[in-house]
Amino acid sequence: MNDSELERLEADLRRVVPARPPDDFLARLKAARPDCNSRPLAKATRLPSLGLRPWLLRWLIPATAMMTVGLVVWRVSLPAAKAAPALKADNVQIDQELLSAFDTVARLPSGEPVRFRCRTWMDQVVLTDKQRGVVIEQRTPRIEVVPVRFETY
Amino acid sequence: MNSGWQHETTAPTDWEQWLGHHTPALLLFARQQARCEADAQDLLQEAVVESWQRQGHDAPPPLGLVYATIRRRAIDLARSADRRTGREAAANLDTPQCWFDSEVENRERSRLIQEAMQNLPEIYRGVVTLKIWGGLTFSEIAEVLDIPANTAASRYRYGLVELRKMSREVFA
Repeated sequence: MNDSELERLEADLRRVVPARPPDDFLARLKAARPDCNSRPLAKATRLPSLGLRPWLLRWLIPATAMMTVGLVVWRVSLPAAKAAPALKADNVQIDQELLSAFDTVARLPSGEPVRFRCRTWMDQVVLTDKQRGVVIEQRTPRIEVVPVRFETY
Repeated sequence: MNSGWQHETTAPTDWEQWLGHHTPALLLFARQQARCEADAQDLLQEAVVESWQRQGHDAPPPLGLVYATIRRRAIDLARSADRRTGREAAANLDTPQCWFDSEVENRERSRLIQEAMQNLPEIYRGVVTLKIWGGLTFSEIAEVLDIPANTAASRYRYGLVELRKMSREVFA
């Protein structure tokens, strides 16, 4: 098929127009107009090529991965002596302080009354490294609930 | 290959006017991508709304972007539709679709061209549709179908040759 035949065929095909959409669908489409106040979605854009050629990218990715693995292996294999010495606590104090205590009563589904004894504690741990002058203090609140049965006679 | 979509500058920016102008060709493409008329309409609606939202309402979305969104959503739909029951799929396939304007004087011609288009291999059909009725350039078609522009151009030519062989009585 030569170029003139091709152009004639194109012209013939263009004379056949696509079917008009059904009216109900067109009405539905018009009603589906996106909200003008909504923020636009992120545009579909390609990543910038940064001027790198594909063959370079093909080598760059595995090379970067290998360098990362090598770096991790080298870092792990460093002698332990070079690492900063760990803290050595020469004094450890553990304490607990009662903040509040109260009792409350509830009923089981069977109707049996149960008393709960509720206490609020503050646990405290203090580590001291006198050689380095470091004091680490940790305070953790803790609630203790103990069910206590009513005594029956 | 073109680096981005060509923005439409001459078409009306109004939503309804834009729909009135482009919906027939978009629906034609959607019908070729979908298994049934209902799916084609859903695909088109979702793609148009998504494209307009992406564009941010300052201007209508590039047509290439809308066609590409239809195709992408059709692929997703086809994957999920594989899980449908055979009965539902068979019922959908029986639904008649009219791809082209079927005025009385053109009815037979439209039917023959539709038949030829339906028998055209898919790799040619998409390119021919986007070029002839979508009005896209080969660069834009390449973006929509994710193929090189040269491939789009050669498929278009092969597609026209095949189409002419199949509908010789129409284009005699």
